Amino acid sequence: MSNFTSLDTKELLLKVTSIPGPSGYEDEVLGEIENVMKDYSNECFRTPLGSLVCVKKGKGPKIGLFAHADQIAFLVTKIYEDGFIRLSGVGGWDPKVIASQKVWVHTKNGKLRGIVGFMPPHLQTTEEYKKVPDYDHLFVDVTMNPNWKEEILIGDLVTVDTKGFANGDIVFAPALDNRASCVAIIKAAELLWRMNIDAEVYYVFSTQEEIGGSGARSATYISEIEYGIVIDVTHGDEDLPGFPKIKIGEGPTVVVGPVTNRKFVEHIKTVAGKYNIRTQVEAIPGRSGTDTEDVQFTRNGVKTSLVSIPLRYMHNPYEKVCVKDVEDTAKLLAFSAAELQ
Amino acid sequence: MLTFLRELTELKGPSGFEDDVREYIKSKIEGKVDEVFEDRMGNLIALKKGKTGGKKILLDAHMDEVGFMVTNINEDGTLSFAPLGGVDVRVILSKKVVVGKDVMGIIGYKAAHLQHGEDYARIPKYYELKIDIGASSKSEAEKKVAIGDPVSFTTEYEEVGDYIIAKALDDRGGCSLLMDLIDDGVDANCDVYFAFTVQEETGPKWPVILMEQLKADMVIAIETTTSGDDPELEKYLWSTHLGDGPAITFMHRGYVVSKEIFDKLVETAKESNIKFQYKMRTVGGTNARRYAMGGMPAGVVSIPARYIHSPISEIRKDDYENTFKLLKTFLESE
Repeated sequence: MSNFTSLDTKELLLKVTSIPGPSGYEDEVLGEIENVMKDYSNECFRTPLGSLVCVKKGKGPKIGLFAHADQIAFLVTKIYEDGFIRLSGVGGWDPKVIASQKVWVHTKNGKLRGIVGFMPPHLQTTEEYKKVPDYDHLFVDVTMNPNWKEEILIGDLVTVDTKGFANGDIVFAPALDNRASCVAIIKAAELLWRMNIDAEVYYVFSTQEEIGGSGARSATYISEIEYGIVIDVTHGDEDLPGFPKIKIGEGPTVVVGPVTNRKFVEHIKTVAGKYNIRTQVEAIPGRSGTDTEDVQFTRNGVKTSLVSIPLRYMHNPYEKVCVKDVEDTAKLLAFSAAELQ
Repeated sequence: MLTFLRELTELKGPSGFEDDVREYIKSKIEGKVDEVFEDRMGNLIALKKGKTGGKKILLDAHMDEVGFMVTNINEDGTLSFAPLGGVDVRVILSKKVVVGKDVMGIIGYKAAHLQHGEDYARIPKYYELKIDIGASSKSEAEKKVAIGDPVSFTTEYEEVGDYIIAKALDDRGGCSLLMDLIDDGVDANCDVYFAFTVQEETGPKWPVILMEQLKADMVIAIETTTSGDDPELEKYLWSTHLGDGPAITFMHRGYVVSKEIFDKLVETAKESNIKFQYKMRTVGGTNARRYAMGGMPAGVVSIPARYIHSPISEIRKDDYENTFKLLKTFLESE
């Protein structure tokens, strides 16, 4: 057993969000996930692009459960003589949320402290007072590290250093996009391990989604699955004109639209009804912006579904999900796989 | 030295809510001074009697920090809030905060995906931002928090190399200096009043009241001040530079520092070979002006700091130590 004493969902969420795993640097977090998953699978392996695939063997149909494990981050683009650096985003940041955050600069020999500095109001001119923070003006102060000059190189990875916490059933943490889905898969695997099912299940924790990379597609290719459920996050508790408000705490969304297979979606909805799992409907008429499209068009095509966990403040240093939504997602995944014939 | 700074900065004490800070300081200095008392407005004053007495010097450090106050509990369980003191809205997005005594929350900000065009390219207004404590309704939130509750940042104190990173260094740095001076013992001829004051950041003129009570002969405001020594500001616009020692102020907003005190501070530093710098900008104000309004000449000595009035500020230990030395030497020459 890994260092998790029990598979408490809240603890798992806090644990897997505490490990930085930006696109292209997912090894450490995937290692932690593998530690847990090896107890619930017959086999674990990595694809050439680094994705973690865990397999529960079976004689029935092959199904894949996919969650990307990477998160957004920054790279060092410029180093000043006096101990300040500039950044550029890896993935879709809003630079406005980065000011006054603590960061880690990941160097070859370990991580160094950095803080994103911001000019105090006393020193701002009228012009500066109106500037919208962007990468041209935001800077990271690394002067406090005695060895910054020797250690920090252009291209080094930078991550925001925020620590998750829970208030009752609500978790605030970095990278819940998409570690919340990783946790849902882990919990589903735990359930399925105790069940006697036909299906052969591929649990895929994939790389490089945030930069549109192909971690999930290559894993799909290798596993030769017939069904695939992609688990990602969706904007919860926000008003979107023309769409119903997706609510945090009311269960995962089941997506309908061209990136999903209608019959397979019906199967999932039936399972949700049968086992009394609350779900919400999310209509996506075009591309979903997730790995679903990639999984769908691999090899001879895959019958896909997209299940999303409602999340607020996406891509911010603190994102928000409800523990119960993650657990409901796990149940939905497990029973959807179990009931495949 | 630096015995108290960690705990001091991690305490919550936005303007008007200095109670925890005051209690902490009181508990640490009792028994080490001749008198400790609290005035009607919440200022904490400690008196260390001098060898000969007669002259009275007052050192001022303010206990409060910038923060926020809950102004409304919304139907969806989120909290509206307004700043206590000058906090640029750009430094508060997606920060962890504590509301009231111990309710943790974050200042949420809309996902980039949902900000369209103009929205993405503008700075949000305070009234558009909400604190999210995880409550899903007004009634659920009302069980935990109330309108008027204070809100503080939650940054943990950290020492890295020669630097200290923390919230509220403005002005717990000053409070810490006063406490370290008390701890170390000041061998002065004159009576020294250590005043830990309230509500500097929101601006009322409490120091005038202190003057009325104490009738000191000289005041020095001990501050943590701006620097600006980073790539966003041309060198000629810096106000101080970290590592160059305590900043001695000759003038700031609304007050030309008493020439006598200013000269004396500079002479003390020079004679004792203590590294110091002049504050190179006249922006920002301190309690010195407010003492002067009460009829008392005042000087200002500050620890140079980066990024004050934000969740994370930064000072150098050697600057702190040199500020301590300058103050101690100055007091002991009086």
